[in-house]
Amino acid sequence: MIGVLSRHSPLALLAGVLLAQVLLLAYQIKRDHDVRLIRYWSAQSSMPFARGGTWFFSNLGGFWSGYVNLHNAHKENAQLRQEVGQLRLRNSELENKAAEEQRLETLLNFRNAHPEVQMIAAQVISASADPASDTMFINRGDQDRIRRNMAVITPDGVVGKIVEVLGNTSQVMLMTDKDMGVGALFADTRTHGVVKGSGESQPKLDYIVNDEKVSAGQVLLTSGEDKIFPKGLLIGTIASAKEGNPFQVIRVSPAARLDRLEDVLVLATQQELAPRKSGEPFTVSPAPPAPPPSPAPAASQTNSQPAARLSAAPAAAAPQSATQAAPQTTPTQAPPQ
Amino acid sequence: MASMLNASLRSDQNVEVHKFYSGAVILVAFLALIVQAFFHKFGHWADFVDLPLLVVIYFSVSRRNPVTGLLLGAAIGMFQDGLSHDNPIGLYGIAKTLVGYVASTAGARIDTEHPVSRFVLTFLFFHFHQMIYVFTQRFLLNEAIPFFTLHLLLESVVNAAVGVILFALLDRLRRRS
Repeated sequence: MIGVLSRHSPLALLAGVLLAQVLLLAYQIKRDHDVRLIRYWSAQSSMPFARGGTWFFSNLGGFWSGYVNLHNAHKENAQLRQEVGQLRLRNSELENKAAEEQRLETLLNFRNAHPEVQMIAAQVISASADPASDTMFINRGDQDRIRRNMAVITPDGVVGKIVEVLGNTSQVMLMTDKDMGVGALFADTRTHGVVKGSGESQPKLDYIVNDEKVSAGQVLLTSGEDKIFPKGLLIGTIASAKEGNPFQVIRVSPAARLDRLEDVLVLATQQELAPRKSGEPFTVSPAPPAPPPSPAPAASQTNSQPAARLSAAPAAAAPQSATQAAPQTTPTQAPPQ
Repeated sequence: MASMLNASLRSDQNVEVHKFYSGAVILVAFLALIVQAFFHKFGHWADFVDLPLLVVIYFSVSRRNPVTGLLLGAAIGMFQDGLSHDNPIGLYGIAKTLVGYVASTAGARIDTEHPVSRFVLTFLFFHFHQMIYVFTQRFLLNEAIPFFTLHLLLESVVNAAVGVILFALLDRLRRRS
């Protein structure tokens, strides 16, 4: 055997003998923590392979799971996008319903607060196609006993009046229309005037003499002298006032949000609304009888006397009606455009 | 083992391969180990001489067979480890295995019969053995042992001198062809 080894592989035998002795030594020697050297070597020699294998398989698994997850995430993303779209639509519907419900609740509360006045709730269905006229259409008409010159309001304040009645729709002229006028009075000073539309978002308050002290923020109510709006409805507040010739140039900021009307109330009668809370602008009184047409106010007439102002207002409130023959005609009514 | 060591093998046809009486190699190796262990009881002066190493060098150089040399070195070294009270088995074994292999390889190429060459060879193999021994201790046992000291140099000289004498005595165990 030695002869065979000597001829062929003495170096291999040397390596084998040395390796055997090294392993024997490693088995006997103990390093830190009383661990045999051969165990330490075994762990150290196998650790890179174990780590490499672990790294490879974890990365492979991670890559595969990442690919699968990405694929699933793509599908899930598309599904979630669709769901988000549906939920947004649903949310929008619910928000609209909630807003509508709130509006209707406000209308209902307002209506319940004034049972003495017959009101017809209506929805705004469209605006006028003519940009020069501030009108809109509501979904109530002749079938709902809507008549011309009925007042249209919201719980916030005056909106306008009915100018055309069809079968199941009606046309409403807003108080900002240049053919519109509303008899008005100041809530504090009781000075009368006429709110006239100007085609702009802020109508004018006419027939207030320069001596009258007017300041921004003063509250303006309906005077009831136009035979359309009951007395005491909130019109708006004074936005600005400056001296003019012969009357002050006063701009009114409407209380009702005329640019975003959706639900309105049509007053079937001109009966005044009874206040339910202190400070509410509506007054309790039976509907006043239609006053006879008053003479046009003199330019020099002062409005320091309430009686003078009260008598001057209806005439002033109907600049167009001054030329009309019939005195009972609504002062603010203007010929349909 | 005896038959293996006494086998008449030649690594080179031009080099003389010495044969020994049957059992001589084993007996000498055993005696060297016993004497080494016996001397060790009498003090550190005995550490100056590494008789098992000298025996490995002599028989490896004489037999001129690497396989025989490395097996003899491995056997004597492991026995020496076993007789020492604190060495793990294999420490001397590795060193003497390599010495046996290299000595038998060298013996096939250079003259190993002259006393001077024997002195030089023993001197060099002693340091080679020591280098392997220290390297193994440093690498495996994690012990910081110096590779070279004056004490080691003195030991190598003493061993070389003892080797010259011992080799001459061991020559008497050769069988005459």
